[in-house]
Formats: sequence, structure tokens, C-alpha cells
Amino acid sequence: MEREMVVKLADNIISPLGVTTEENYRAVKAGRSALRLHEGVPGIPIPFFASLIDENILTVEGDYTKFERMCIQSVSAALANCDIDASSDRVLFIVSTTKANVSLLAGGRYPAVSDLPSAVLPGVVASRIASYFSNHRTPLVVSNACISGVCAQIEALRALEHGLCDYAVVVGADVQSAFIVTGFQALKAVSAEACRPFDRDRKGLNLGEAAATVIYGRTDTADNRWQMMCGAVRNDANHISGPSRTGEGSYLALRSVLQHITPDEIAFISAHGTATLYNDEMESIAVNRAGLANIPVGSLKGSYGHTMGAAGVLETLLSMSAVDDHTVLGTRGFENLGVSRPISVSSENRTTDRHAFIKLISGFGGCNAAAAFKKGGDR
Amino acid sequence: MSLIKHYVRISGQQPIDSGHPTTYNVCLDGQMLVSNAPADTLLADLYKGHIGDYPKFYKMDPLCKAGFIASELLLNAEGRRREQWGESRGVVLFNAASSLADDRNYQATIDDPETSFPSPSLFVYTLPNVLTGEIAIRNHFYGETNFIVLPTLDSEAMASAIEMTFSDGSLQSLVTGWVDCYSESQYDVLMLIVERDAIGHRDELSDEIKRLAN
Amino acid sequence: MEELILKLKNEIIEVLNLEDIKPEDIDENAPLFGEGLALDSIDALELIVLMEKNYGIKIKDPNEGKDIFKSVAVMADYISKNRTK
Repeated sequence: MEREMVVKLADNIISPLGVTTEENYRAVKAGRSALRLHEGVPGIPIPFFASLIDENILTVEGDYTKFERMCIQSVSAALANCDIDASSDRVLFIVSTTKANVSLLAGGRYPAVSDLPSAVLPGVVASRIASYFSNHRTPLVVSNACISGVCAQIEALRALEHGLCDYAVVVGADVQSAFIVTGFQALKAVSAEACRPFDRDRKGLNLGEAAATVIYGRTDTADNRWQMMCGAVRNDANHISGPSRTGEGSYLALRSVLQHITPDEIAFISAHGTATLYNDEMESIAVNRAGLANIPVGSLKGSYGHTMGAAGVLETLLSMSAVDDHTVLGTRGFENLGVSRPISVSSENRTTDRHAFIKLISGFGGCNAAAAFKKGGDR
Repeated sequence: MSLIKHYVRISGQQPIDSGHPTTYNVCLDGQMLVSNAPADTLLADLYKGHIGDYPKFYKMDPLCKAGFIASELLLNAEGRRREQWGESRGVVLFNAASSLADDRNYQATIDDPETSFPSPSLFVYTLPNVLTGEIAIRNHFYGETNFIVLPTLDSEAMASAIEMTFSDGSLQSLVTGWVDCYSESQYDVLMLIVERDAIGHRDELSDEIKRLAN
Repeated sequence: MEELILKLKNEIIEVLNLEDIKPEDIDENAPLFGEGLALDSIDALELIVLMEKNYGIKIKDPNEGKDIFKSVAVMADYISKNRTK
């Protein structure tokens, strides 16, 4: 009996560049970005460079936070493009987020823990989102730092392969609250200008907001759909916020994924490429250790900034659109390679005739993930 | 108790979100290690009594302190050389409050715009998965680390996720379980070691977790 | 300067959670990073916050910190020359 495949049934991206995946892809391909300096934002004394969603584009009504509205709107749009009954308990909701509704903590409104609204608990938030679609199955929230978006897809892959659900609705999102922005400023990880992934003059990351949804299901014929082939998560076991100098976890994740895909199938690696000194250097080491120095590498952080819990899903979806368009998207902000190992990065869009890519990602807590995706499976 | 190889239970007499002060019991593989200990000194006392060689402990936030102590008790009980696992051991933990305790502490450093001094050492702990990182660093575990937040301690959801993690063929063993924390004095821990023989025994694992959590 | 050095040692112990360490355990001329107290990158960032919060000294670039935080004595000297609080 042939092993069933896990394929993408529908998707959506909501970001400052558009409210559909298609709109977002066209904007990124044309080199557009909503990254700009933000000043005078309440709770954030130091100006910061970011790409933020204007709440006016969010149409969900009701007593929901910005985070919830982003998620609900994105999931709604994805569901509208496929034929599943979201209320069924054979549908599993998986939310990828680092901080969910943390902005509810602002202003010291709730002096005692027992005063806190339940909406600060991410599991409760996920239930609220699922309930909007009349789904009452216990949702999962993957809170694995910046790799959550890939991890959530890996959980979906496994849940489908094990028959624990028939469909998985994965939504990744985060809001750039004062909490997150001031935190990255305190770590001195941010750049006050447009970020420059892998570049010699990179000075740090930019922040971004997005919500991205992907709906997966099982099939025995991929036809012309995107298949999630495999994924792996590994830890550097080195430092809680600095990446490993040897790219240990990232390399091990790549090595695991390369058991299921050969280098000559890979159109490109969509890297994490946050434009911090250490992350980009680490990825160049990991990619070389994995023997992938000749594979085109790109980062989307120059188009969106770092979208935290959304990143893994957002960047996977755009990579799928790119391969569909026979394109390797250029890395906005890149000019001259500034990492110690050779990797193939370009500021310009390139062409490809390959049909698969790897999404590579890293996060605080020393975690790293890699996942491989292929267009169509019946070859 | 065959699927759960070792376990540690750190639990208060009152429910974690009751807001009432409580004392704690610590139970290791069925043996009571500590009973009726006050919350504010328990973890530091356990550190001094059972670990003592890892001053980084004092930099950890409340969630990491509770989880780290539990992991040390657990791994000491297992009694195997920690470095032997490498990529074959992962750390996958669950809770309901995410990093709420540290989130509140960090938020306090930025709340007053006049005196806003965001603390980097508090901020780095405002992600629950950092606990999985701390355990991985201490023990050189290179396998899968992950953190899943659930609405409540749901033994079925946990058992499913734990079993599914073994889809990764490299994984032989998981340090896993529930580590929840609302503040320095409110935590609830059930940490376990589970191995590949859990595959195909999801329901049994769920029952064992439910039994130990009560 | 002696007073400042002692004050600084206590502040460092507090902000870096150096629980088992007393001021007399810290040699003001010993390296803070690398050896000695073996502080790391997050500790360096907390020291930057300390400088601004307690002494009004803003350090924008973490790399500047490497020189200023060489030892407690070097820090104290820098503070006495640059403090605005």
C-alpha cells in the first residue's frame, strides 16, 4: 500500500503587503516592502524599523484582540478556498505564536495573577480562534520561539500521518507589541535601518507583523499540489539566545531532512536570515556543513522583517509561490556577502527549473528546524 | 508504570491558579522526597541539596527554575551518563501559562515610560521553550526540543504529541511532561522520561499521565 | 573610588543574580568576561542597562562594552569620568 502524502489544500497570508498569498508574492517579487521607521509609539520610547499591519485592514468583528483578528481573518480566507468542514473534530487547529496576547499585560491593569483575563493564556486564545469556526477540538499552540511556524507544520504532518486528524489548519501570527519591540531593543539585536540579511554591513533585525495560514490534508495522489515531505527539529545545546558557533542544531536538522531529498532536487533554501551578525554567520556554516554551498539561499526578512510566530508559515508559503513561478526570490537588503562560508545569495530574482525547497529556521532556546517541500509527488 | 521510565511530580496543595498560598510536595518515582515545603524556598533548597554546581540556575526565571530542578531530579534518578544521548534524546514540554510569570516580570520593567529600562536577562526567558533549551544545554541533548501550550493539562493531547514526536527515527528518548508556572510561588510540574516503546500505546500513556498528574 | 567599587560590586551581584557571591569574592582587577566571573553576552547587556539606570551613561554599541567592562576597577573608573547621575 502506498504511503499517503500530506499536501497543502489552501493557504493565506495577511501582512502589510496584502491580504492574499498572491498579493504578497507579487509584492515581494517586485521588491516591495512596508518596512519603515516607527516613532512615538506608546510604550516604545526608542524608534524602531518595522513592517506593521494597519488594523484598518482587519475586518473581523467582535470582541477580539488584534492578534486574534489577524488569525481569524487569515484562517477564514484559507478556508474559503477549500472544501472542508472546519467544525468537524477531525480538523485540528494548530497555532504558532511566540507571544499571542501578551499586550494584555501592559499597564499593570492586573496586579494579581488571579485577576488576569484568561485570554492571556495561549491555549485559551487558540480555543477562541477555533471556536470562531465552531471547532471545539483541543487546539495545539506551538510556542517554540521563532521556529514555531515550521514546528507547527511538522506537528500537522505527523498528526495527519498518524491519522489523528484528517485536516490540519496551521496559523502562525504575532503582533509587535511594546513587549516584543523593547525586548529586542534591550538585546541590541535590532537595526535602525532596513535590514540586510547575509550582508557584510548587516546591523541587526527588523520586526514585522503577519498572519499566515496553511491547511494540510492527506491524499494518495498529490496531483499538482504541494507536498510537505518531512521536517526535523534539533537543539544546539549551546546557549539560550546565541546561535551555536558551529551551527550544530541547524546542520543536524538539515542532515535529517537530506535523508529524504537530494541536493539536486532543491531549488533553494529559504533561510532564517534575520540579518543579525550571529544568525546569518551560523546559517552559512550549517549550510556548508550539510554540503549545500551551491544551492541558492535567500531570506525574506528584508521584505517583512522578522514576523516571529508567523515567519515559518509565511516564508514557506512564499517559497511555494516562488517555485510555482520558477523563481528564486532575491534577498532584499543584500548586496555583498558578509559571512565566513560561501553561500549563494543574490539581491536579484533568479530562475529555477526545480520543484522542491527547504525551509530553514532557528530560534531562541537553541532550537533549529528544517523542512522539505515538493511540488507534485507523482513522478 | 512501564511506559513512563521515571517521573518527578512537584505539586502544590492548592490548584495553581487559585491565588492562594500553598505548600509543595515533591515525589520522585513514587517516593516522597519533600512534603509540605513552602514555595519561596523549595526550589533554591532543592538546588543546593541536589545540584549545587550550576550557578546559572540563579539567573533562570521561575518557570525554568521549576523545570530545571525537576529535570535534574529526574535525570539523577535515571542515573545514566547524560552525554550518551546526543541527538537521540529530545525535550518536549507542555503547559497552559506559557512564560506568564516571566512575562509579568519583564512587563514591569517597561510599564512606566518615565523609567522604562527593559531587562535583557528577563526578556530572554519570555519564551517557554527556553526551558527546553536550558535542559538541552546542561545535558548536551541535541535532539528535538519543542514547547506546546494547551488550554489545560490534557493527558490525551500530551500523549498524542509525545507519541508523534517519535516519528523522528533518530529519537530514542524524550524528557517530557507538564511544567506550568504562574509566579515565583505558583508552579505545577510532572516531568517524565518516555522512550520509543510508547509508540502504538498512546492511550496507555495518556492514562499513566492522568494518574500521575492527580 | 573605593566606595564606588564596593557599590558597583553589590550592584553587579544583584543585577546578574550572582547568588552565592559576596563583594569580597570579586577581585576588582580580575577580568569579568572569559575567566573570573565568566559572564556572558546577556550579562554584558544587563551591565549596559545598569550603567544607564544607575549612572546615566548610555552605551549604544555592545562592542564598546567589551572595553568598559574589562574589570570592576575599569568600570568604576569609566563611571567616575562619565556619570551624569
